[in-house]
Amino acid sequence: MKSKQNKVKILIAEDDRISSKILKKHITGWGYDVLVVPDGKKAWQVFEKNEIGIALLDWMMPEITGVELCRKIRNDKSGKYTYIILLTAKNKQKDINKGLTAGADEYLTKPFNPIELKARLKTGKRIIDLLEKLHKQAIYDGLTKVFNRREIMRILNEEFYRAQRTNQPLSTIMLDLDHFKKVNDTYGHPVGDEVLVEIVSRITTKMRAYDKIGRYGGEEFIIILPHNSIKSLKKIAERIRINISQKSIQTSAGPLQLTVSLGCTSTENIEASSTKMIIKISDEALYKAKNNGRNCTVVG
Amino acid sequence: MTGGKKTIDFDSALERTGGDKDFLYELIDMYMEDFIPKYDELKKAIKEENFTAIQETGHYLKGSAANLSLSFLKDASLQMELAGEDKDIKKAQQTLDELKKEFARLKTFISNMD
Repeated sequence: MKSKQNKVKILIAEDDRISSKILKKHITGWGYDVLVVPDGKKAWQVFEKNEIGIALLDWMMPEITGVELCRKIRNDKSGKYTYIILLTAKNKQKDINKGLTAGADEYLTKPFNPIELKARLKTGKRIIDLLEKLHKQAIYDGLTKVFNRREIMRILNEEFYRAQRTNQPLSTIMLDLDHFKKVNDTYGHPVGDEVLVEIVSRITTKMRAYDKIGRYGGEEFIIILPHNSIKSLKKIAERIRINISQKSIQTSAGPLQLTVSLGCTSTENIEASSTKMIIKISDEALYKAKNNGRNCTVVG
Repeated sequence: MTGGKKTIDFDSALERTGGDKDFLYELIDMYMEDFIPKYDELKKAIKEENFTAIQETGHYLKGSAANLSLSFLKDASLQMELAGEDKDIKKAQQTLDELKKEFARLKTFISNMD
């Protein structure tokens, strides 16, 4: 599954069926996933699905031209970056300038040379892979591989507005490791890191496929549970708590017994007008759990 | 007029199509299949003096011919594209005859190969 995700998908938008057949034969032969569409409108529909890494766009196409499509793609900031190669029989300097100004990364004149095209695609793949790596570094926590604080807050905002739109409940769990400072002070930070990684693994095995988790602070995590009733929220939180407390964590310093405190809330339970409010109520519930002696769940 | 050019530069077309002869023949068939409706479109566009259509169809035929290294058909298609761009109806009419002649030559060439 991982190798499939890493594979760059290439879109060929070309109305000339001879040209698109030749392109497809070469590019498939070089091991890329290829999708072919005959006009600009269909190409745009594919773009909106946000799956394309490299696009080979013919300049003259029905519905939307390659150059118009370039501008449209570059103006759309919502999706990931697409590496665009304009492919056309237009080869005057002013045409090349126009294509590149519209947002194309590369320009190839028809009839194309397969060796040159292969090299250009390789460049495109290198850029796309690099951007993907940077994107991952920007949204994931380096140690635990869950979302970082900025990304999980972005997701919370997105889910909050989705829940409002669809009139569905949205739940959150704030989870904090009990006495984690002691682990770091006694056994050192590398052991503390081992604990954090194992805690995340024990949390995620109890989450549903569409729940999201992020590292909110040092030893504090937030879990977002869309379409979740308050009853089910309590059950999931307790399952997570028990999964952590019932079995000691194996570390390089030996087994360590750890517990977590959880503060939960659901829009089913509160009148939340913003994500700020959801965080505040979850935080308060977590504070209560700590005051109640830790290793427990409180719903706010 | 022909210089050193061939009806089809087989080696370069074969290189572009990855050295696969069957695939190249399939594409030539496809070109011949596409040419007839495109020729009719051109005839209609010239009659109506629709220069945008003349330019676009010329451009389309130029691209297909270039991919298959059909030198004369590519040149004639380019002339058609330019006639559309320059809004030159006389040139478009002359080029239409040229296209017809070159297409007939390609057909003969292919049938001799068979």
